[in-house]
Amino acid sequence: MSKVALITGITGQDGAYLAELLLGKGYEVHGVKRRSSSFNTGRVEHLYQDPHESGVRFRMHYGDLTDATNLIRLVQEIQPTEIYNLAAQSHVQVSFETPEYTANSDALGTLRILEAIRILKMEKSVRFYQASTSELYGKVQEVPQSEKTPFYPRSPYAVAKLYAYWITVNYREAYGIHSSNGILFNHESPIRGETFVTRKITRAVAAIETGQQETLYLGNLDAKRDWGHARDYVEGMWRILQQPEPDDYVLATGETYAVREFVELAFAEVGKRIAWKGEGVDETGIDEATGKVLVRVDPAYFRPTEVDLLIGNPAKAREKLGWTHTTPFRELVREMVQADLEAFRRKAG
Amino acid sequence: MTGSGKRALIFGVSGQDGAWLAKLLLDHGYEVHGSSRDRDAVSFGNLQRLGILDQVHLHSAAPVDFRSVAALLEAVNPTEVYNLSAQSSVSLSFEQPLETLNSIVIGTVNILEAMRFLNSGARFYNAASSECFGDTAVPAAEGTPFHPKSPYGTSKAAAYWAVANYRDAYGMFACSGILFNHESHLRPARYVSQKIVRGAADIADGRARTLHLGRLDIVRDWGWAPEYVDAMRRMLSHDRPEDFVIATGEAHTLEDFVDRVFAGFGLNWRDRVEVDSSLYRPSEIAFSVGNPDKARRELGWEATHRLDRLVEELVRREQERRRAD
Repeated sequence: MSKVALITGITGQDGAYLAELLLGKGYEVHGVKRRSSSFNTGRVEHLYQDPHESGVRFRMHYGDLTDATNLIRLVQEIQPTEIYNLAAQSHVQVSFETPEYTANSDALGTLRILEAIRILKMEKSVRFYQASTSELYGKVQEVPQSEKTPFYPRSPYAVAKLYAYWITVNYREAYGIHSSNGILFNHESPIRGETFVTRKITRAVAAIETGQQETLYLGNLDAKRDWGHARDYVEGMWRILQQPEPDDYVLATGETYAVREFVELAFAEVGKRIAWKGEGVDETGIDEATGKVLVRVDPAYFRPTEVDLLIGNPAKAREKLGWTHTTPFRELVREMVQADLEAFRRKAG
Repeated sequence: MTGSGKRALIFGVSGQDGAWLAKLLLDHGYEVHGSSRDRDAVSFGNLQRLGILDQVHLHSAAPVDFRSVAALLEAVNPTEVYNLSAQSSVSLSFEQPLETLNSIVIGTVNILEAMRFLNSGARFYNAASSECFGDTAVPAAEGTPFHPKSPYGTSKAAAYWAVANYRDAYGMFACSGILFNHESHLRPARYVSQKIVRGAADIADGRARTLHLGRLDIVRDWGWAPEYVDAMRRMLSHDRPEDFVIATGEAHTLEDFVDRVFAGFGLNWRDRVEVDSSLYRPSEIAFSVGNPDKARRELGWEATHRLDRLVEELVRREQERRRAD
């Protein structure tokens, strides 16, 4: 039987990588994007095909997780065999400013898709993947975190995602839907959103290197994260839905680095060594060769409640899915810096 | 006239009208703040194209989120608030009726409620729409009853009455502008005017053979967006809060529009346009024309771009854009 995937959040980093992966596997792929006055399809532009042509395997639809009947119609028309719910207001900081909207799209949005599956009586014909997140662990209750670690969400984003996680489990248990969570730790790439700290760092390194920026401002330099490459993680999502039984999996590298280590490696890519001076909000990162201050702390980037040491235990995914990350941390940083350098050099002409 | 001392907050600054309004207000000496749902995720291509990206103070705000609206109003403390945000496509409203309702009605009421909560003395402009009227037997004026024919129109009609109610109940300086179709090169491609212009340009460039369109016999009143935003400004500078119809007062069929655009690219549309019934809307307004007499009389506002000049502008801007690429 031919496989048909419906991906919400197609315009995001993961949507783009997943669409590419599934098209490569012969899927028909339908992406859902939200209305916007601004151009927002840059990441999937290269996959676009004119819908009037025949044999088109990639299509885009307007959709919105806050609109239940819209979702029902989309699922009814597309008749997907797999649904990947990657859409969300996914920015932690923004969720403190728009908590109500975040809950509506991230928590209720997930419920609306599961309800669409029920109303259309597709419980047995479609599999559902929910993009859960390591932010669920928040104030971590143990290190490293596995599928059995209790959650302690610390932002409106994470609280909304907690509802989505449990409703996915509940609809599996209550209605027999093949619905699974992937609890993904941070995963980055050259097409990561520019407000995420990794991309902010690699863009700043490129901008500083090409003379278009002086200083990089960051929040908590000691926040530690488990960073992998998005390309590896979408492979994990796909594998989760190929299992005979639905289940929940942590996808992580199992390694952890502090933000300052990411900074050091990123600058090392352009031959700069960073020396740290001072403490707390007065700490600065200095170019050893020139003495210039390249990194400063801006408390505006501190979160109202910070998440401490996120490090995942991917043992279950390795054992059951045969999945493991393949891109080492250094290579991830290198790929991101090189891509941004290229873009800034093009821009500088 | 100068806007010195005036501070405007534009919800929906990333859209066509938001960008034109921001430019106009800057030219009038206003301090201009603008919001979009996620400041960091959108490119503000329209503000860039108008060369004002670095002059507008940008913020993130979701009008459907009360906290977000209240926090922004408190931080900016504007003298004028323009609500141009929300789902703005009629055809998309048939696909997303609930999101349309939420973004238009809840969004508008959240702003009104936040202004009330904060005792804001700001003047408020809300973008109503000719879609509130539905079919217009004669050119519609301010007193013409509403009969909306789409989820977009019904939502805009509800928001219109919310604005009128807050004006009456709480004495707020709150107005609705009932704008008929107004176009420019800043419209995204999903709007029929830009779909036609870009489609004709693609055919002229040899990049496409045909253009698929819905009904061609519908009649609309099309104006030039940059001058419509000036009517918004004038409404808030008026001595009393009132609602106004903004239109050219002239009626043209979509076929007429298509004919002129194709001619602008040296093409005959009859060889190139295919009518595709799958593009018909579930219910379509056949005839939509406005009567702008009140705006002319009380605001001294009048549309100077009739269809000929509008099409000329759209064709020329598209040709310029393609040369620049």
